[in-house]
Amino acid sequence: MIRFGMTANSVASGVNRRDFLNLVGLGGTASVLAGCGNTSIESGVELVQSYVQPETFVVPGVGVYYASTCTQCGSACGIMGKVREGRILKLEGNPQSAISGGKICGLGQAGIQGHYSPDRLKTPMLKENGVLKATTWEKAMSLLSGTVSFTAQGPRRVVLTGPTSGHLQILLKAMPQSGAATDHVVYDSLSTAVAASVNLKMFGVEQTVGLIDKAGLVLSFGNDFLGAGDSPVAAARQYARFRKAERRGILIQIEPKMTLTGANADRWVVIAPGTEGVLALGLVRELLQRKEFANNLSPNLIAAVEPYNQTEVSHITGVRGDLIPRIAATLWEHSPSLVLAGRYPQGHAHGSHNMAAIALLNVVLQNQGKTLWREAELPFPQMAPALGNFKSLRQLNTQMAAGDVGSMLIYGTNPVYSTPDFMRFADNLQKVPFKAAWVTELDETAMHCDLVLPLMSPLEDFGTHVAAAQSDGMEISIQQPLMEKLHPEARSFGDSLLELLKQAKPESYKSFPDYYAYLKSAVVNAKPAFDPKVEDEEFWENTLSAGVLRRPAALLPLPAIEFSADLVRQPLRESRDAAYPFVLIPAVRPSMRDGKAANLSWLQESPDPLTTVVWDSWAEIHPSTAKQLQVNEGDVLVIKSAQGSIRAKAYLIPGIHPGSVAVPIGQGHESYGRYATNVGVNPFKILDPIFDEETGELALYATRVAIMKTDQNERFTKDEGATNLQQGRKLVATLAADQVDLAKETPFVIR
Amino acid sequence: MKTFSRIVLCLAATLAGVSAAPVVSADAFVQGGPIGSQTSDGYNALGPVVTQPIEFPHNRHAGTRANGGMEIDCLYCHTYARRSAVSGIPRLSKCIGCHNMIESVKEKPRIKTLLAYWDRREAIPWKKVHDLPDFVRFNHERHIQRFIFDQGRPSREACGYCHGDVASMTTARRVKAISMGWCVSCHEKEHRIDAVSFKTGHGPNDCWQCHH
Amino acid sequence: MSLDNLISNWSKLRVRRPQVDQYKDSPYKWAMVIDLDSCTGCNACTTACYAENNLPVVGKKRFLEGQAMHWLRIERYWGEGEESTQEFPEQGAAFLPMMCQQCESAPCEIVCPVGATHHTPDGLNSQVYNRCIGSRYCSANCPYKVRYFNWYNYPESAWPSPLELQLSPDVTVRSKGVMEKCTFCVQRLTEAKSKARTEKRNVQDGEVVTACAQACPTSAIHFGNIADSSSTVAKMWKAQQVELSADKQKKDMKHEKMPAASEVASGVGASVEAEKLRGYRVFEELRTYPSVVYLERIRSGEV
Repeated sequence: MIRFGMTANSVASGVNRRDFLNLVGLGGTASVLAGCGNTSIESGVELVQSYVQPETFVVPGVGVYYASTCTQCGSACGIMGKVREGRILKLEGNPQSAISGGKICGLGQAGIQGHYSPDRLKTPMLKENGVLKATTWEKAMSLLSGTVSFTAQGPRRVVLTGPTSGHLQILLKAMPQSGAATDHVVYDSLSTAVAASVNLKMFGVEQTVGLIDKAGLVLSFGNDFLGAGDSPVAAARQYARFRKAERRGILIQIEPKMTLTGANADRWVVIAPGTEGVLALGLVRELLQRKEFANNLSPNLIAAVEPYNQTEVSHITGVRGDLIPRIAATLWEHSPSLVLAGRYPQGHAHGSHNMAAIALLNVVLQNQGKTLWREAELPFPQMAPALGNFKSLRQLNTQMAAGDVGSMLIYGTNPVYSTPDFMRFADNLQKVPFKAAWVTELDETAMHCDLVLPLMSPLEDFGTHVAAAQSDGMEISIQQPLMEKLHPEARSFGDSLLELLKQAKPESYKSFPDYYAYLKSAVVNAKPAFDPKVEDEEFWENTLSAGVLRRPAALLPLPAIEFSADLVRQPLRESRDAAYPFVLIPAVRPSMRDGKAANLSWLQESPDPLTTVVWDSWAEIHPSTAKQLQVNEGDVLVIKSAQGSIRAKAYLIPGIHPGSVAVPIGQGHESYGRYATNVGVNPFKILDPIFDEETGELALYATRVAIMKTDQNERFTKDEGATNLQQGRKLVATLAADQVDLAKETPFVIR
Repeated sequence: MKTFSRIVLCLAATLAGVSAAPVVSADAFVQGGPIGSQTSDGYNALGPVVTQPIEFPHNRHAGTRANGGMEIDCLYCHTYARRSAVSGIPRLSKCIGCHNMIESVKEKPRIKTLLAYWDRREAIPWKKVHDLPDFVRFNHERHIQRFIFDQGRPSREACGYCHGDVASMTTARRVKAISMGWCVSCHEKEHRIDAVSFKTGHGPNDCWQCHH
Repeated sequence: MSLDNLISNWSKLRVRRPQVDQYKDSPYKWAMVIDLDSCTGCNACTTACYAENNLPVVGKKRFLEGQAMHWLRIERYWGEGEESTQEFPEQGAAFLPMMCQQCESAPCEIVCPVGATHHTPDGLNSQVYNRCIGSRYCSANCPYKVRYFNWYNYPESAWPSPLELQLSPDVTVRSKGVMEKCTFCVQRLTEAKSKARTEKRNVQDGEVVTACAQACPTSAIHFGNIADSSSTVAKMWKAQQVELSADKQKKDMKHEKMPAASEVASGVGASVEAEKLRGYRVFEELRTYPSVVYLERIRSGEV
């Protein structure tokens, strides 16, 4: 790539850098949009790009890359921003990051649109008579100062955030410690807390590291690692190596609705929602019949899997009986294998049991120490990510309803949008006397707050991020501004936190004029762990230039843990409720996640990979279900749960269990900028109050619904043409794996 | 009918370039015409007078000694031109680098304005004199590399092909047509590729070189 | 390319088919290899294309009218034949990243009434916006349907301030009435070639890639110069035995002449059958001579 080398010396700090990052009003931006309609030559009208005293590497018309970190999801990919004439033009992956390896996903690319969004919040807003009106930071800070109390008495003062890590996480932890708040609640509507709890019980750690590229076969129970997974770019890079291995890796995906990962499987197996654990136990039973595996389990566990014979498993899961011994045989033949579990098996009342049964396969196959590891020790454990869950928000919600919460400071999460109606979160929020939100755009939660504060975009702010379950050494990802802030009133959340902490504990924080100073001092203090020989200033500049602090570190073995057979116990077969015959699958889209990215027009117009639908919500049903309901594509359906109903057009897709209907998450915003509002529906709203019995997490895939056909039919806004079949044309040709020898192909580097 | 007018404009310019090419002398490219007159290459190309924030005397800096100039090379100040597609404008600190030292003129009105910008650390809002339509991408770097560094021509001559004899002006003014036909008339001519060999070549004549 | 150049070299510029070794003496012939076994259909490349090439977002209504402006799209297929035979897609979905194939004998070029699209010396199919009058013949004649027409003046509506600050100054923002399409990121190629010429050398392998290839998380898109036989892409074309100037590849003819079952049993031609090469070009039989080679996706039938 051109000018990657620039990052090495384009270290950026201080006044000169500001001069470069400043959007020089004197530059040719005025005519950016003139386009080729502008044939006029307007000598003497436009201004020339003019600098006072730029760094030597600054050349007008030549882009410079600055390293930073993507904050679009939690994977902390290293990115680089191409900066020219004070504007960020494009984001790329940072090759120095072991997570992104110089690659970047669509969600990451679109981060730049959030920065330049026309609907950014520009000033602090204060609610007066129910309407948000512009106010000043002075007024806002004096109101916020009122929330800082030094007694443990009285109502709770809560800081509610989305998942965080790095130094922001340290400051957030300090909030309750310093008395500036009573609680820090971390909420993630799409949390993997069930998996974490099961991992802890079976492998002794919350986060295991699965190495896809070290496996000969990956058996994935609804883990969308290539799409909406925990770290899609890192996983996709591993997947590429897995497919190009000397013996090409095989992917088997088992899930009720096809994910992007499922679309890439050698064998995609549809399963009745929630019965993944039963199939896993059936496979365990099958494997135990081989002498190699017979001694891997305790007698209790062997007895526990005994009832799951082929007939029984096939009956419950709907998976063809003969497939079970075949999958078991392939697992053996292509060892080492890796068994992954994703969101689908977690999202049930027996989610923990489902996940444990799947994890049991890894135990039986003895994948620990081969494809399944524990991540290396993070040198600064206080920076480890707080991943968040649903249970703590539910507890908070109860406290709010009881009037026990006096104030709430909200950052990086939008619970009014992402909580089901049965929680009445928005109503309960009104019972909190003072609530403030830091946002870049007015979302649903901000609209319910008394004070709303304009946040810097992630491309304007400093920060540090640590990814969970890193597989290649330990990396702290550094976030730095790629551009001077667009809106002068916007501030960093770190600065607001620091100001509150200064009031609570002046002696600890008074030496830091701002969050930048705090961060710099903290990073420089970490120098001995990384590069003890250089000067402080040089270390800081090197760190910003590289965008990552890396330490090679070997993965650690998972401890052997005794666990009871009760962990993998599967529920008795539920009887179907005749009033609600279908299971609702709120599908997580790689580009939309929990709806945070719905305000980015590139992603709205980026077709969903499987349906190719854009700018909309839809209800995916199997053609056989459609036939039974006499539904055609585009027929508007009412999807009704016991909690409420949503309307969406029917999309007929073969990759779904006939007993379910899938509606994607992410759309249906009532407030979140021009591109997100009035688009589609929000399936979160109609979820049933069903929770995982062990962890109390919301069961995302357990809601039962009825489908009613209306007499409306609308055309789909989608990219596919009249047919989705190749009709004999050689468009995407497929070869059987045994007909090709990949070793004879030209080798190339997979980053 | 915007699209139609556009294509007419392009074709007309092309035809003009073709017919004009044979009669143009090399000197015409170097010298430009005297300000206020029609240029010798047949184009009435004189641009508007552009009022700049400081009436910068190019003649004083780059003009000949005989005319009271200091014969400073164009590229001494316009240093970005050899490294980038756009030449930009010299950074303010470049001006200050010399003018901080030159006590004798510090009280002159133009220098006082310059120093005032520096004291405020404010970039000078210079106006563009040679503007191109937004669908045209001219590359300064390539032309400078070819004519100055490969062929060893003096920068006053090489820059002058397009900018005219700026060294004789105060603030610059456009004296060449800078239209497509005018560009092509030069690109169609064979030039020696460098100072030593007799091999010749001409500029690219592919549309996509400049229009993408 | 001036008009007289166009007229006097009419036959040369409007080649009917590429010659063998057409680019033997040229420094560049840009080409691609897209590995459909690595492509996951994730849309990272398509978004990168929006970011790199100033593509407008058209919105729901215009997308519905088929006026999307995505130069690169991912096509998704469920089956190869005329009818869907399986109840469930047991081998997943089939994804095809489809962009301008930079045909050597491009159907679009010969129908343009004003020479706004023509072949460049680098073997690219150019689109000159300021020359285009919007007849849309090129789009009608394109078998890949990868040309996109500006039905609206997107500069007025697609980038509400300050979104326009993201626009790349190296790429013209197209206005109403002109056709546009994938350029293989010609702005990057021009820049790399310029840098190489200043340094008196040719562009080296890996020095420049398109935005889609750079973003692709699985490295499924390979971009390079097949005039340089040492480049990765040239080696891949060679290894897959795809000849730029052929409308039917020798290796495919070998397969067509495949012996009857009896001969296979006797061992004749069995080696050919055992290992197939994955490279092919889409609609090669239309004699467009595309510059993009796709590698067949692989599925294991073990389970």
